[in-house]
Amino acid sequence: MNSLVARYSRPAFQNEGYGEEEQQQALADFASPLSLNFALPPVASSASWLRAMTDDHSNPNCPIKIAHGTTTLAFRFKGGIIVATDSRATAGNWIASQTVKKVIEINSCLLGTMAGGAADCQYWLAYLGMQCRLHELRHKRRISVAAASKILANLVYSYKGKGLSMGTMCAGVTPSEGPALYYIDSDGTRLAGNLFCVGSGQTFAYGVLDAEYKYELEDDEALELGRRSILAATHRDAFSGGFINLYHIQEAGWTKHGFSDTNPIFWETKLKKGEFSNVTSELV
Amino acid sequence: MFIARSEYDRGINTFSPEGRLFQVEYSLEAIKLGSTAIGVTTASGTVLGVEKRITSSLLETSSVEKVVEIDQHIGCAMSGLQADARSMIEHARVTSQSHAFNYNEPIKVESCTQAICDLALRFGESASGEEEESIMSRPFGVALLIAGYDEDGPSLYHAEPSGTFYRYDAKAIGSGSEGAQAELQSSYHKSLTLPEAEDLVLKTLKQVMEEKLDANNVQLASVTKEKGFRVYGDEEMKGCVGRIENE
Amino acid sequence: MAALSSYSMPTEQPAFSFQNQPQSHASGGPTQHSFYPYTDNGGSTLGISGSSFTIIAGDTRMTSGYNILTRYAPKLFRIGGEGPEHAGAKIVLSVVGFAADGQALQERLDMVVKMYRYQHGKDMSVHACAQRLSHILYNKRFFPYYVQAILGGIDEEGVGALYSYDPVGSYEREQCRAAGAAASLIMPFLDNQVNLKNQYEPDAPQGLEKPQLQPQPLDRQTVEELVRDAFTSAVERHIEVGDGLQMMVITKDGIEELYSPLKQD
Repeated sequence: MNSLVARYSRPAFQNEGYGEEEQQQALADFASPLSLNFALPPVASSASWLRAMTDDHSNPNCPIKIAHGTTTLAFRFKGGIIVATDSRATAGNWIASQTVKKVIEINSCLLGTMAGGAADCQYWLAYLGMQCRLHELRHKRRISVAAASKILANLVYSYKGKGLSMGTMCAGVTPSEGPALYYIDSDGTRLAGNLFCVGSGQTFAYGVLDAEYKYELEDDEALELGRRSILAATHRDAFSGGFINLYHIQEAGWTKHGFSDTNPIFWETKLKKGEFSNVTSELV
Repeated sequence: MFIARSEYDRGINTFSPEGRLFQVEYSLEAIKLGSTAIGVTTASGTVLGVEKRITSSLLETSSVEKVVEIDQHIGCAMSGLQADARSMIEHARVTSQSHAFNYNEPIKVESCTQAICDLALRFGESASGEEEESIMSRPFGVALLIAGYDEDGPSLYHAEPSGTFYRYDAKAIGSGSEGAQAELQSSYHKSLTLPEAEDLVLKTLKQVMEEKLDANNVQLASVTKEKGFRVYGDEEMKGCVGRIENE
Repeated sequence: MAALSSYSMPTEQPAFSFQNQPQSHASGGPTQHSFYPYTDNGGSTLGISGSSFTIIAGDTRMTSGYNILTRYAPKLFRIGGEGPEHAGAKIVLSVVGFAADGQALQERLDMVVKMYRYQHGKDMSVHACAQRLSHILYNKRFFPYYVQAILGGIDEEGVGALYSYDPVGSYEREQCRAAGAAASLIMPFLDNQVNLKNQYEPDAPQGLEKPQLQPQPLDRQTVEELVRDAFTSAVERHIEVGDGLQMMVITKDGIEELYSPLKQD
């Protein structure tokens, strides 16, 4: 209706320097549902321009610092899936936030994780949530994790080369698939697997996870392993830290197991279990 | 009587000299051929009821779907050309989901109805290349009863092919709508409870249906604050139908 | 970044999926001046939410490089009010970064909030506005607004709500947030004073069980003083901050604007 009106009425500001594109964008703000019209800079190669402006990895002096996520992990085991993340977001060397929720609740039984560009993950996983809900309405049953991850993978593939930055995992337990875990990144990769760690702290998390992981873990062992792996990453990776965000997914849906400060957990792990013996400072 | 109109009832974008759009008026007639659908609002929620026309004993009754979910808090019942309703409902679903996506809140029932009515107007011939193309060459032949629960409480809207909509306490559409509306007019009062509204819907349907009402040829659904929209299952339908038969 | 085109798992953070490496100018080809549509106009903003109010503040200096362009360029905007005075607005947007982008963002959000009122017949809640702002920012993902936004208001329960954004729309609800040039000076102060980070019960025995002080909701007077302290301190140590302090206090009754001078040097 708005665009109908816009079509037949001549806005007063037409000759006041508002370009056609600008108007289109303004209309897209409230007119057609689901228009994914992204504004593009007026240059030939928008991707390399965007890179010069925003990629603090290759150019620390870039003007626009985008918040980045860091260590995330998820693994399948006999009792479902564990999803664990840290909570630090960095923009360059600046810690933009220590309280980021990097586990994104797509719906009551599907979780996504956030590594890479925080906005990319937030936006596209929310978009995925909407698509999953529409799938549910249209087909009268819950979407499978395979299908959900495929929607996301196809989506980011269509933006390949444009400059998205995300490494995400989709995890859920459905009656048809059992526990299912997929890794999707902004290159368009989509992998199914038992365990993934994503982000700058992934190597440290893999170190702990690979050593201790087996499919037959009990629920509490699995939660502890998730927590311990993130702790290792926050200890050795400067880009990771803050709080440990833990989730457990079962067929009935996910449950949250705390958003807990790493510092007391670190000291507890060191003092009570005798790990981290490289840290010598003594607390009385 | 149709001969007099014939010059103006072909084109959908031409007013008659009396200022009427005949194709739109005819589309309202199409609804009067449809099965009856009734909606009743109460303080705790809205009940929708539809007649399913079981045209053959071989027909799988569960495949006759005349009450559908739009969002968790909105549902709708239809009467008229069912196929036309599909695209309206798809539009309503996408609109309400994109509202939730953009604003992180459920859409208001009125806004959802408005979106459906905006779509109802998108018929006719449009020049190619226009941004918003018409999606139908004719008006939709279906009317919807849209029931929902939002921050303003329960509500019921009636949306017509002409693109107009009104809010009702109780409304009947379809072939039996005249008789049913009269019945609702006399029996409705503001203090109805939800089970009473279920009874009212079923009793009214029973009066206007050609076939004998049973648990298979009607379908109830309700929207409440606690449970959102839900279509009643077989057992629940039997319970409700049994209740009015015992009276 | 080298392994962008291969399908191996990234070894560090997920890489940007740019297909072309940025061209180096060392190859002897003609040097191109790149498209650079941004200016950093300096300044700083800050927001703190309380149990029944939210305060958003910003200095009013606008700079370009080492030049002070003006001493009064507000960074705080009322959103969704009527008329030129934005009467009846309940939401405040603060933007810092490139002032023109900030202005454009403010205009767009204001339009969206007004259209929402016409379309849905009610005022937009802060929480809806927060999500919408995120999407407005993300719609320019490939040509970002050079801004750091903070949005403040009162939520449906009457509690102060504060949302902070990165330039492309990732957002989070927080108790306090500083943005802009002096963010790195102000934010640690707020962590300490508002969230009581790394403060422990002074009398408790040292060791593992040492309890953290729990942040308590602050009253309005305290918060106003914190904001003033934060800015007067930032002015002492940052060249791009100064001239005036504009503060907006959002309560259920509306928005109250306060202005006080800061050092002009």
